[in-house]
Amino acid sequence: MEWSVSDEQERFKASIRESDGSVTVYSMTRDGRDVHAPEVQVEGEGRPGRAIVRVGGSTMLAHVAKSGDTWWVHVDGRAHEVTLHEQGGKAPANEGSLKAPMPGTVLQVMAEEGQRVREGQHLMTLEAMKMEHKILAPRPGEITRVHFSEGDRVEMGSSLFEIDD
Amino acid sequence: MSPEWMTDAPRPFSKVLVANRGEIAVRVLQAASEAGLSSVAVFSESDSSSLHVGLADESVLLDGDSLEMTYLNGRAVIEAARSTGADAIHPGYGFLSESADFARAVENAGILWIGPSAHAIETMGDKISARSLMIDSGVPVIPGDQVPVEEGADHLGALASAAAKVGYPLLIKASAGGGGKGMRAVSVPKHLRSEFESAAREASAAFGDGTIYIERLLKGARHVEIQVLCDSHDGAIHLNERDCSLQRRYQKVIEEAPSPAVTPAIREAMGEAAVTAARSVGYVGAGTVEFLLASNGDFYFLEMNTRIQVEHPVTEMTTGIDLVQKQLEVAAGLPLGMSQRDVSQSGHSIEARVYAEDPSRGFLPSTGELVVWRPPSGPGIRVDSGVREGDSVTIEFDPMLAKLIVHAPDRRSAIRRLDSALSSFVVLGVRTNIDFLRNALAHHSFRSGGIDTDFLDSTDPSELRGEEPDRPTLVAIAASAQRLGMDREATAIEPVDDHTGHQGDPFRTLGRTFP
Repeated sequence: MEWSVSDEQERFKASIRESDGSVTVYSMTRDGRDVHAPEVQVEGEGRPGRAIVRVGGSTMLAHVAKSGDTWWVHVDGRAHEVTLHEQGGKAPANEGSLKAPMPGTVLQVMAEEGQRVREGQHLMTLEAMKMEHKILAPRPGEITRVHFSEGDRVEMGSSLFEIDD
Repeated sequence: MSPEWMTDAPRPFSKVLVANRGEIAVRVLQAASEAGLSSVAVFSESDSSSLHVGLADESVLLDGDSLEMTYLNGRAVIEAARSTGADAIHPGYGFLSESADFARAVENAGILWIGPSAHAIETMGDKISARSLMIDSGVPVIPGDQVPVEEGADHLGALASAAAKVGYPLLIKASAGGGGKGMRAVSVPKHLRSEFESAAREASAAFGDGTIYIERLLKGARHVEIQVLCDSHDGAIHLNERDCSLQRRYQKVIEEAPSPAVTPAIREAMGEAAVTAARSVGYVGAGTVEFLLASNGDFYFLEMNTRIQVEHPVTEMTTGIDLVQKQLEVAAGLPLGMSQRDVSQSGHSIEARVYAEDPSRGFLPSTGELVVWRPPSGPGIRVDSGVREGDSVTIEFDPMLAKLIVHAPDRRSAIRRLDSALSSFVVLGVRTNIDFLRNALAHHSFRSGGIDTDFLDSTDPSELRGEEPDRPTLVAIAASAQRLGMDREATAIEPVDDHTGHQGDPFRTLGRTFP
């Protein structure tokens, strides 16, 4: 099992040991390299979704919940996402495609197939929750495919355009 | 039967339909129940299990899959009132609250409208007529020239020449607008066309009215607004100011009362101007007059919102006056029962709007299930919310999940209390702006009280980013939770009680408790 935190690319592996309901980490790698294992001890608090976390000398209550492959962790006043990946699993390779950053409705499509675009060029307008959001070209290139047209609904992460360098 | 406190009221009523959803519907429904009134909720299909529906005595489905068919469908709302025997309608904010046509239709249907007259809504809702009325009444308005631009085929010529007269930078606003929707800043002429078109589209999507107007963009000013309260017996008072300068793209994020920039002299002058503005349209009910406050203490009329505001709680906390209860009293024809001298100000209150949005990705709306939803509580902490744990956040509606309001003796302790409350606000399953709110509160410009309305948009995002999380520790916590099977624990299904058909211990499900 590998882990990533929030939107960061780096992958962690943790070797853990459990005894009497208390878990400690004895080794950890980041992107395949050994890193110093955090001195953390975690145990259930007794009620669902609550964990006692001991880091160094301090003890904190963490709220945890799993949704899909992601563990949501609220600790020390802030919420984080820690996502589980199958061993060796890669992010779906589709380097050339531009993904929808949010679900929404396509209001306008400004780019067509075969068109060359510059970085930052306004390619599409999405509407969600009554607000408009511009989809901009992440880099210069040629639009090889346009997957949606005006009025279509798109899901988060669906491929909007294919861009070739 | 109308409640006892309405016995002597000229226009008593007994059942209120709340033509809204989310936190404001919940707020009004709770006020109605407290006031001894029966209540009716309306809801769209996707809201059928929402909190506001469960809270009302009765509820009516508004059929259809667009806002125009549901929450913006005045005819269906009035029909819902008729079919349930509701004799009053409270519109909340947004949706139909500032539709003069709807207010008129409600009254024509013989139903009491809890709000100002259609005439007042119309006059103040049209920014052009509001502006000229303010000039006539001696209320200062924003310098510059304005020309109304009707949505249509050849609007661009008129727009361009008006823009040249007003000068850049300028602001394009939806005439029917509010809440930052349909509002665009234009710094150079070449962006005029695209920003205009996008503002017009947003305006017609959000308000059903694509009319746009433009005005000079004042730099370095604060957004300060005055809450007014008027009855139908010529009583009109103001309840001091709220400072809403912390905005992102004209969307208010943090509001407070009193304003750190308002002196007693400014408060008195601004309050007087607001009461004058309200009187000039024969206003009845709760309303807000918005001003821009320049750094030299000059202020300019921005607009009047003829409804309850999102940020009304900070006024309630500092004046001790329940604004929704006052709306009900005034609608029943009762006098305010208080004069300007009776309005006091105690301590400091700050409201933070918790949005389902992702500050790390340009504040895009985020969606998902509220797997864990634990609002904070404690002395001086109030949470107004329309969601519960387990609810889904979709892109269909406004992304505001809750308002977190604190009250403390002074501004510094209010900031500390808000930060502490935000840090114990546990929301898991949907990304929110809670961290961002904490970072904004911690910024020295906000702490010193010296921000203007451009603060969030002009500050380097790195200054509003918190500390880097300790990722190895987070991985350790998640890996441990996985090993301990804490997900299974949390989703364990409780047995169904044979008798009631409910899940779990019958004593926990006998009464409906919220949230």
